[in-house]
Amino acid sequence: MPSIDIKTIETQLKAALEAVSSLAAFEELQIKYLGRKGIFAQLTASIPSLPVEERALFGQQVNAFKGRAVSAFREKNGLLAASAQAADSCFLDITMPGIAQELGCLHPVTQVSEEICAIFSRMGFLVWEGPEIETEYNNFTGLNIPPEHPSRDVFDTFYIKQPVLSPGKKAKDSERLLLRSHTSPMQVRLMRQRCPPLAVVVPGRVYRPDAVDASHSFMFHQIEGFLVDKGIRFSDLKGALEFFLKEVFGPKIKMRLRPHFFPFTEPSAEVDISCIICSGKGCSVCGRKGWLEVLGSGMIHPNVFRHVGYDPKKYTGFAFGMGVERIAMLKYGIDDIRLFYGNDLRFLKQF
Amino acid sequence: MKVTYNWLKDFLEISIPAEALADKMTMAGLEVTSLTCRGGDFVFEIEVTSNRPDCLSVIGLAREVAVITGKRIKDKRARRHNMKIGGSAQPLKIKIEDKKDCCLYTAKIIRDVRVGPSPKWLKERLELVGIHSVNNIVDATNYVLFEEGEPLHAFDLDKLLPGTIWVRRGRQGEKIVTIDGQERLLGEEILVIADSRRPVALAGIMGSKDTEVTEHTKDILLEAALFNPIVVRRGRQSLGVQSEAAYRFERGVALESVEAASLKALNLINQLAGGHCVSHQASARPKGNKKVVSLGLKRLDSVLGVVVPLSKTKSILSGLGFQVKQKGSRLAVAVPGFRQDISSDVDLVEEVGRIFGYKNIPATYAEVLPQPGVSFERTGVLLLKRILVSLGLQEVVTLSLIDKTMNRAYACIEDTRSVEIANPLSSEQEVLRRSLVPSLLKCVALNLNQKQRYINIFEISKDFFWLKDNPVERLALGLAFCGDRDFLLEQGCIRDKAGPLHLKGVLETVFKRWGIKEYGFKEEGPGCFAVNIAQEKIGFLADLSQDILQQAGIKNRRVVAAEIYLEKIINFANLQKRFIPLALYPGISRDISLVIEERVAAGDIIKAVQNEAHPLLEDVAIVDCYRGKQIPSGFRGLTLSCFYRTDERTLTEEEINPLHLKVCTALKEQFKAEIR
Repeated sequence: MPSIDIKTIETQLKAALEAVSSLAAFEELQIKYLGRKGIFAQLTASIPSLPVEERALFGQQVNAFKGRAVSAFREKNGLLAASAQAADSCFLDITMPGIAQELGCLHPVTQVSEEICAIFSRMGFLVWEGPEIETEYNNFTGLNIPPEHPSRDVFDTFYIKQPVLSPGKKAKDSERLLLRSHTSPMQVRLMRQRCPPLAVVVPGRVYRPDAVDASHSFMFHQIEGFLVDKGIRFSDLKGALEFFLKEVFGPKIKMRLRPHFFPFTEPSAEVDISCIICSGKGCSVCGRKGWLEVLGSGMIHPNVFRHVGYDPKKYTGFAFGMGVERIAMLKYGIDDIRLFYGNDLRFLKQF
Repeated sequence: MKVTYNWLKDFLEISIPAEALADKMTMAGLEVTSLTCRGGDFVFEIEVTSNRPDCLSVIGLAREVAVITGKRIKDKRARRHNMKIGGSAQPLKIKIEDKKDCCLYTAKIIRDVRVGPSPKWLKERLELVGIHSVNNIVDATNYVLFEEGEPLHAFDLDKLLPGTIWVRRGRQGEKIVTIDGQERLLGEEILVIADSRRPVALAGIMGSKDTEVTEHTKDILLEAALFNPIVVRRGRQSLGVQSEAAYRFERGVALESVEAASLKALNLINQLAGGHCVSHQASARPKGNKKVVSLGLKRLDSVLGVVVPLSKTKSILSGLGFQVKQKGSRLAVAVPGFRQDISSDVDLVEEVGRIFGYKNIPATYAEVLPQPGVSFERTGVLLLKRILVSLGLQEVVTLSLIDKTMNRAYACIEDTRSVEIANPLSSEQEVLRRSLVPSLLKCVALNLNQKQRYINIFEISKDFFWLKDNPVERLALGLAFCGDRDFLLEQGCIRDKAGPLHLKGVLETVFKRWGIKEYGFKEEGPGCFAVNIAQEKIGFLADLSQDILQQAGIKNRRVVAAEIYLEKIINFANLQKRFIPLALYPGISRDISLVIEERVAAGDIIKAVQNEAHPLLEDVAIVDCYRGKQIPSGFRGLTLSCFYRTDERTLTEEEINPLHLKVCTALKEQFKAEIR
């Protein structure tokens, strides 16, 4: 009788599983029962040969048995695997060092610069880079810096030795080359290339012949930003900078704009944030003032627009510039700018 | 600029404490960088921006304070002085060589002064602003300089040759010993005051020692003049001297203050040292240009983003010394002589804005329209940096300006003309680098000194060189590896020593990620390999010679470095991914272990396998390389793993076996390989 068959087979299976002690024997047994030509396959195949009235019942019984068999096999497999592992390694010491490839890290100047650019990107600004060797025109004249301005001095700007220029003749400022002393010349370049609206941030290296000390380097990084369109106001500058500074230094900081002077902006403002160390109470980092200077900014001077061929009656715009190292030093509490260019791995791996 | 609380109080009533005043001044653009309490007074140190020379005077600051605090300034202009001109006075002539150098020169002759120490109040006040008391005459000129912002100078008249006072350029070979005791060689670029024999002062900078006012002085010549700012600055720079006078002339002194200061000083001298003025001479007074700037009322609000009440605007401007007339929707604003910085409407917008208070302007948000133009170069470089740090490399940032000697041509660096700096401060700023490698070596040396065992660094920055008459900026990736590291695995420790294949591996990963297929590495010289894409050289990879390393301060170490020119790669890059359907049929894997002579290139073997087993071979890889006991010297063992697969059907052993045999035979024949 088929029903007796199933019971017998189940008893045999239980005994056989009990007796299995190796994975190989287990797999053999599994194939014998559950394989393509195994016992269960045979049982299923025998259904059509039964009388019609018995088929349904027998089918159900076979299926139920198969379910029990599958879980019995699974359970046995688990037991075997566990004992195999136990036999293999006597003790897993989880306190041993983990195995992984060490990640490198981006230089803190890159990290901060990218963070700043990303914030302005979210506000709709494009990120653009420019050349480090600039003309005197783009670096000064186009930015409304008068010919005799002290920043044009050889004490404040690196000039390029130009063999082509005849020494006696005074070179035109569009021919005279220098290392840009700020990222602002990109205002001139981009405005000449494109029409408003224009919203851009420009990260990059800049150069000034400063004697090197804890807060000066003859090369550092700046980010310039500007927005030109019809109806741009000083209040928009304030909004953009406040958003930016809170993203970088946290929502709790306060910002203030102080009137200042830059030849390429009018009105101009220096931007301070409440000291991130003492929150404005006064400490050594902020020189007991409670405020930290982080940016220079202002409304783009109409003369800059005239130089690039924009109508200053039609367009207004704001511009700002900041030192990346300065922001990084404040953000991470770094007290010496020289650490950025020394590239001691003990320094770099901290970021 | 230093000023004291009490000194300001001479000019106006101040009803707020010094600290609060300092804060208000800072927020109006006169940044108080320090405030100290000394001798019952407060000393404000103010950073005056270069556009505001009028604030380099007590009177100028008082004017600002009055507007900021809503007070009126007291009129303290000197009254007319009752001069006894004539008598025994010798006629004095003033000759100005070039009016462009000095547009106004005035000289007063005061006779019979009693030179002596200054009274206590004067000494103290000068000390507070950082000026040492000399004697009553010099102190009087300094006091007026601070108060009015117009530098004055007093000569001992008896030390001057009578006749003519010259304002002229210095002559080659002329010398002067200045008050500070320094002998200075003059030249064409220096403007001097001279009598008919010799220079007696560096105009606008400093007087000479032998004409200074001493205790023996009886008669004085009081100079008040206006010198060209540029000439003063150039002269001061070429002589390397600084003075309170030069500081003010360089930034620009107002024409009106010349006579006012001269008169004030005369009064003060009379008060302190007696004497009487016997002569007053002046060059022709230049015309002061009266500027009127038109300010549209709408412009004010549309630039600032806040509505400033008209009455407020008017009171701010008139408080600052402007004369304001309303003409319809515009203001006609007459600019006082001391505000040379004001020339257009936005300058007035700033004046109104800063006194109204930047803090009273709201924060608003401009609408920014989406703009096209994200460059691949930038996204590509960022992607590259991320790939490199995931491979464990550390990014460095080094200085683009270097020492000339670091810019030598290496085996692999082309000998291009370097871009030199005309005015370096030191040797470490002489040239712009034409390769990143020397800077990377400097980093390696520094970190080796710090006892780092394994250094794997990269930098993405620019190289510079001349191409004909144009300087070129070339964006490059520099890599440097040095040292060894241990990987502790479950099976034990594996030591990894940095070599050229590490650089190759990094570059291959980058190329693959950038969708570049046709890359290659070709030996160019000893330890130097060209990196090519589609036969074009895009950089190099080098096992650096001991000679180069020693010059970088690295001894007995192996350093490998590479430099790749990114603009070239970017042209080949293809970041656009396309989906390839997953394999439908399984494949068959076969390994080959073979022994070959050392100098047989593994790359050639791979190529041979690919040729023989095409098209059923999907992939072949070198999975092991060994030398040792079982391998004779001069040979090495390689294990290749071949993977056969087709998209058309499931391959069978029967199909693959003869093909694989063919591959093995070919290797035996072509490379004398022994198959194991």
